[in-house]
Amino acid sequence: MSEHVHNRLAMVRAERKVSRQRLAEAVGVHYQTIGYIERGQYNPSLDLALKVAKFFELPVEALFSLEPFRPLTDQVYGRNQ
Amino acid sequence: MTAADERPLTSYDRRMYRLMNRREGDALHATAARRRAVVVGHVALTAVAVAAWLFSVVGEQRWATFAMLGLLLPWCVATGVINSSTRGLLELRVRALDERQRAERVQVAARSRSVMLWLLLAVAVGAGALTLKGADTEGYLFPVLFSVFVVHWLMPLWVAGLSVRDEPHFDEGVDGLDDLGDLGGAAEAADARPPRP
Repeated sequence: MSEHVHNRLAMVRAERKVSRQRLAEAVGVHYQTIGYIERGQYNPSLDLALKVAKFFELPVEALFSLEPFRPLTDQVYGRNQ
Repeated sequence: MTAADERPLTSYDRRMYRLMNRREGDALHATAARRRAVVVGHVALTAVAVAAWLFSVVGEQRWATFAMLGLLLPWCVATGVINSSTRGLLELRVRALDERQRAERVQVAARSRSVMLWLLLAVAVGAGALTLKGADTEGYLFPVLFSVFVVHWLMPLWVAGLSVRDEPHFDEGVDGLDDLGDLGGAAEAADARPPRP
């Protein structure tokens, strides 16, 4: 049984212009693993989640959450859905 | 996991890793339908090759030896395609796999074991039924045992080949951050369905 972990990895990766391959090499996993995390098909271990957060210099909760993330536009413009 | 699984990669590990991650044949296993076709082809080639080997060894048929040799090349190619589709999930040493691949390898082993359990049960029931009927099963002992051995050997490969998910789009260069398609996916990623338990 596994809890679904929501993530913003694809968005942050695109924003920082980091390829999956580069991120994968930086955190020591296969590039497919990054893709599966982005697709929600694999939940990373705490170790891997922390490594990814460290790579982007973000707190881990900025990238991973048990609750769905609010759309960025809502966050930026303070609109409620 | 043992201490050996955490040792640094050897040059053999690195060579095998590169080999298993070559991308020339990606088109052959890009979709689930193609992967299924390759696995079905591999099962068929294996069945015919085993039959040919048994004809040549047990039946002493010379033609069967040549048939088996002829099947060897396509069988190796099909094996290579399956291994390429799994990115060496079963061929690489554990220390060359990341946490997701290690978990998948364990899942593949568990599924293979379940399938083999039912297969062995079917063989045992079949053999028992034939013996109860008084049939002479002695001549079938070696062929059946050999066939079961081959299936046991290759079942993880077949299960792994059928379990592979579609590859995330490859984006080697930043300029080719080509799958902002997936980004359509920030939303998609955030709302992706939970993996099945």
